[in-house]
Amino acid sequence: MTHATETLILGLLTGGVYALLASGLTLIFGVMNIINVAHGALLVLAGLLTFELWRRLGLDPIASAVVTTPVMFAVGWAIYRLFVARIRTAPVSMTVLLTFALAITLEGAMGLTWKNVFRSVTPGYVNQSFHLGPFFFPKAQVFGCLAAVAVLSGLWLLLTRTWAGRAIRAASQNPQGSALVGVDIRGVAALTFAIGVATTGAGGSILSVLYPLFPASHYLWISRLLGIVVLGGMGSLPGAVVGALILGVAEAFTATYVSTRWATVVFYLVILVVLLVRPQGLMGSRLRGDVVT
Amino acid sequence: MSAADGLRRAVIATAGLALAAYPLARPDDAYGQSVLIFAFLLAVMAGGWNIMAGFTGYVSIGQSAFLGIGAYTVALLSLRTGLSPLLLAPLGGAAAALVAAVLGATVMRAREHAFVIITIALLFLFQTLALNLEGITGGSNGLTLPLPTWDRDIQNLPFYYVMLGLLALSVLLSWWIRRTKFGMGLIAIREDEDKAAAIGVRTSAYKVLSFVASAVLIGVAGGVDAYFLTFIDPRGMFDILVSVQLVLAALVGGRGTIWGPVLGAFLVVPLNEASNNLAAAEGLHLLAFGLALGAVVMFLPHGLIPTVRAWWERRHPGPVPWERRAPATTAARVPAAAATPRRALLEVAGLAKRFGGVAAVDLCSFTVREGGLTGLIGPNGSGKTTTFNLVTGMLRSDDGSIRFDGRRIDQVLPWERAHLGLGRTFQVTRLFPRMTVLENLVAPLRGFSWSNLAADAVSGPEARRAEELLDLVGLAPLAAQPAGRLSFGQQKLAELAQVLMLEPRLVLLDEPAGGVNPGMIEHIAGLLLELNRQGITFLIVEHNMPMVLELCDPILVMARGRVIAEGPPAAVQRDPAVLDAYLGEGWGTASRADPSAPVEA
Amino acid sequence: MARDRWKLGWAVAVLVLIGSACSGGGGGQSSGESKEPITIGASLPLTGEFSQPGGAAKRGYDVWAEMVNEKGGILGRQVKLTILDDASEQNTVVADYNRLITRDKVDLLLGTFSSLLNLPASAVAERNRMVYVEPAGGAPAMFERGFHYLFFAQQATAPHQADVFVDWVKSLPAGQRPKTAAYPTQDDPFAKPVIDTMRKALEAAGVKTVYATVYPPETTNFDTIANTIKARNPDLVAQGAVFEDGVGLVRSLIKAGFSPQTLFQTSAPSNSDQYAKGVGEANTEGVFYTVSWSPEATYPLNQDFVRRYQQKYNQVPEEDAADAFAAAQVLQAGVKAVGEIDQDKIADWLHANKVDTILGPLSWDETGAPQSDFLLAQWQGGKSEIVLPKDVATTDNVVLPKPDWKQS
Repeated sequence: MTHATETLILGLLTGGVYALLASGLTLIFGVMNIINVAHGALLVLAGLLTFELWRRLGLDPIASAVVTTPVMFAVGWAIYRLFVARIRTAPVSMTVLLTFALAITLEGAMGLTWKNVFRSVTPGYVNQSFHLGPFFFPKAQVFGCLAAVAVLSGLWLLLTRTWAGRAIRAASQNPQGSALVGVDIRGVAALTFAIGVATTGAGGSILSVLYPLFPASHYLWISRLLGIVVLGGMGSLPGAVVGALILGVAEAFTATYVSTRWATVVFYLVILVVLLVRPQGLMGSRLRGDVVT
Repeated sequence: MSAADGLRRAVIATAGLALAAYPLARPDDAYGQSVLIFAFLLAVMAGGWNIMAGFTGYVSIGQSAFLGIGAYTVALLSLRTGLSPLLLAPLGGAAAALVAAVLGATVMRAREHAFVIITIALLFLFQTLALNLEGITGGSNGLTLPLPTWDRDIQNLPFYYVMLGLLALSVLLSWWIRRTKFGMGLIAIREDEDKAAAIGVRTSAYKVLSFVASAVLIGVAGGVDAYFLTFIDPRGMFDILVSVQLVLAALVGGRGTIWGPVLGAFLVVPLNEASNNLAAAEGLHLLAFGLALGAVVMFLPHGLIPTVRAWWERRHPGPVPWERRAPATTAARVPAAAATPRRALLEVAGLAKRFGGVAAVDLCSFTVREGGLTGLIGPNGSGKTTTFNLVTGMLRSDDGSIRFDGRRIDQVLPWERAHLGLGRTFQVTRLFPRMTVLENLVAPLRGFSWSNLAADAVSGPEARRAEELLDLVGLAPLAAQPAGRLSFGQQKLAELAQVLMLEPRLVLLDEPAGGVNPGMIEHIAGLLLELNRQGITFLIVEHNMPMVLELCDPILVMARGRVIAEGPPAAVQRDPAVLDAYLGEGWGTASRADPSAPVEA
Repeated sequence: MARDRWKLGWAVAVLVLIGSACSGGGGGQSSGESKEPITIGASLPLTGEFSQPGGAAKRGYDVWAEMVNEKGGILGRQVKLTILDDASEQNTVVADYNRLITRDKVDLLLGTFSSLLNLPASAVAERNRMVYVEPAGGAPAMFERGFHYLFFAQQATAPHQADVFVDWVKSLPAGQRPKTAAYPTQDDPFAKPVIDTMRKALEAAGVKTVYATVYPPETTNFDTIANTIKARNPDLVAQGAVFEDGVGLVRSLIKAGFSPQTLFQTSAPSNSDQYAKGVGEANTEGVFYTVSWSPEATYPLNQDFVRRYQQKYNQVPEEDAADAFAAAQVLQAGVKAVGEIDQDKIADWLHANKVDTILGPLSWDETGAPQSDFLLAQWQGGKSEIVLPKDVATTDNVVLPKPDWKQS
């Protein structure tokens, strides 16, 4: 029983962080119908930047989210203007290929800069846990989860309480209608993409202290994130949170009671089953291009 | 054309001979041979992908999974039976085809972005299965095959020729598919899947077949590759970078062309080799690869061959012969009066369709009788096009029944309705813009059968029939033009001819005169009368009142989702309910001064 | 559609012509001239997944070449290394070795890193009947093909890497011997066989297995595994680790608050500085591992190697670099003994004789699998000490049980 409860605790803590990581991906998809396959690579990039900050300045990694988030915002803006804007109207497969190309390019650039070596950020609390009875709550996981919740709340407030957020949501539902009421669609697209990538700043900083990072690890992250976003419903932020918690726990339980080897299969199976049976996921709106036949 | 044709053939023959003779000319060059072997392999994989993504429009980023499936099948069989993997390679193809068939049947339901994500997930899933099911696959240890048994002086030659042979097969397969009705159907699916279904293309079966065709040769190549490497493991055989590489090759060369993937492979492999040898810095290789892929997607999305061809054609525009054709017939403008009651061809009863809170079609009932042209008019938003969509199957009704020739077709899929004889044109024409007019006409399928699919689309009876129809509508000179280049009116004629290929019994025409000049309207009206005389029933939605009043009897009037009036033109013109629907209150009672003047809608 | 064929035809013809022209140019140097350098070709994963050990191996080869040339080379001729990058990819390593053999026409070959790459590469060498000494690649599959020209330059193949530890455990008095054990291992063709053989041997010796799991190489979160280990409470934890996962599991065990009496890990603890930094120096105390090489070992030339490496690269050599150096030593010994560059004679001699390397004396059976034992090492007082074999042991002390973690 203790074992199962501890597994649940670990799964929830992990899921909380996953929620932040997936939020940007689902936002970008919801508004722009673009699957940003480079999201994993951007996370790793942010994590490695955090590593540099920690290595050179001794900055606490979770706190350095304050730095990495604006940096990644700028990176996202640049990526949008330089690359994505050109092919906004292209078919989905082309945008997937472009973001894939971006992911590979980032992997190469990170390999050049940081070498293909595992990088870990190890502040004092990285090996410590809070103990409550027979249960342990790893400190890094707890701090990371709290930070993730904070950032997600900020994102939610941004989307629901600010004009920019409303513009983003309007543009996602009806681009032409929004344009007619004065929303600058192109600007909103750039803003959304940039915000989506900015979440990888905070997410990457948190990741850096939880897991060792390696340029090629982005494949694993994007697999997980795609699974979460598909389950939650592409475009739905609450869906991403729910999907992340469910899959975080599912992954933990599979790793514990079946085998760690089959833990990632959970994400792939979710992708297959959900997209075939209920493409809009748990909380998403019906995907465009739904098949009648 | 024949001089250029001859030159083309000569050049291809030369290239083919050069490749075939190369290892005989330089037998010691195992390195050069191995590079070419990889080029052949990539070309086979890119060619397979091209059938799925280039012809059918379903982009997969997990195509290399079939390489792994073929490789593992052949390796396991070879280790168990002791037979040479080269002999067993076709079984690798069979395994890949089987997996493609099963996957295709389940996965083809998804569209666009869902499909892409699914293929990525499948690739990783296969890799994980290969890793974890180590009892069967050897897991991360992989499988080792014994060294080839032939004389070491021959070295790579058998692999070289087998791969070259596979490459030839792959090109042949693509070329053959492209010329058949099957290929036309695939391209139709790519251009406009719903329209393809409306003209009788059984999209689900076509997609599965396309998937199988795209996988089978890759599976065979996998078996050969396993033997060439003498060692396979899950990472190498289910590698996403290989998938991306083959996509890059096909894109660079030209997606949807026959030789594009081959050209792309011959560019990508040597460049890959060169960058490996020059750039020993970590990550530079990946960086270059990512940049190349990104550049191709952004700046050369159609690939070299189509881009060069388009450039060439812009520089050397050719004249297109065109002559104005007289309308098909000037015979009596009045449709043959129907003395005896004709049987019901289409019976719609209580049809309903809601979108959220909006009832677009609300207990709509009407009957279309065989023979003659029935008009369907009504103000904007009355549900006419939605009704068409429900009748043809593009939308599923919420309630009510639809009977065609006595048979209930509510649950019947769109292509089957087309096979039963129900055709339809669209308000905004939906031809397949990148196919030629002739190809557009050959794409429709009257019935799903193997001989139909394999029928030659470029010559043969199907093409002849298409040419006849083009003659009928007056578009014969434009047969070789891409349909996207036709004027709107010409497109209307072409779409009509396309529907006629189905030999339909009932054709639903959605605003045939919309957006078309008066001369063309005459032409179309004449055609419709002629076709009607030949036995085709029409249900015409139109806003052009003179045309409707002249051509159609009876006329159905729809408003707010249901039929509110029905009858001969004169009666409908005066019906108060109709005037009310069109013009609002206050017009219902005032009689019009000139009953024959057009009622503006 | 017709024009594409035309375009392609020209493109292919041109490419083929260029290809032939290129291949014509790249003739290698002819061997056999008395004062011409001996060319030795190898491919290494300098980029990609295995780039870290690949880079270390390159440094090992380079140091060897430098030291050999200073002493006059082999058979009076200087050695010249040609090292290609296979980017950790199998297709590329096959092409690389084909190129080295048929285009560059090197005199001798040296192996690449990792069984995954050495498997196809050694097949190319065997087909061309060239001696292939590999520094890393001890997976059993390597030696099941009946190759004659293949030699593995470490003391034992993967399944036997931990025999020395198993023997040590069996030698313990009953009170100190572990009664239960957990075996987490990465799904790696090198690490996994080590743990699999160890587990079978220890089960036969009466040590009960309470937990065994295999995790994929990309696993970075070991909390769930640590949680389960804690729940099962084994005396011995033996992990098949590569590197980062070794550090990761220790961290997770610290977080979970569980410290086994004995901890054994493959490979990971041998990366001295990084391992100590990763787990915290105090937490290294008592960790066992087997390793093919130690910087303290007094085998001939070892101290020279360490000194030279430190001079050149400003760091203590990695095990992979030492293994590469040893592989080159094996090749050198064979050539020297035979007196000429004759692949068959070299292979025959190596099968029949022992070679002294910085890893100790190496000898092989007819499949190319080596016949000795790895070194058993343990971290003590912030340093790695060799515990077994006795003739190179750096300490008589053995830390048992492992002390508790220093942060919890």
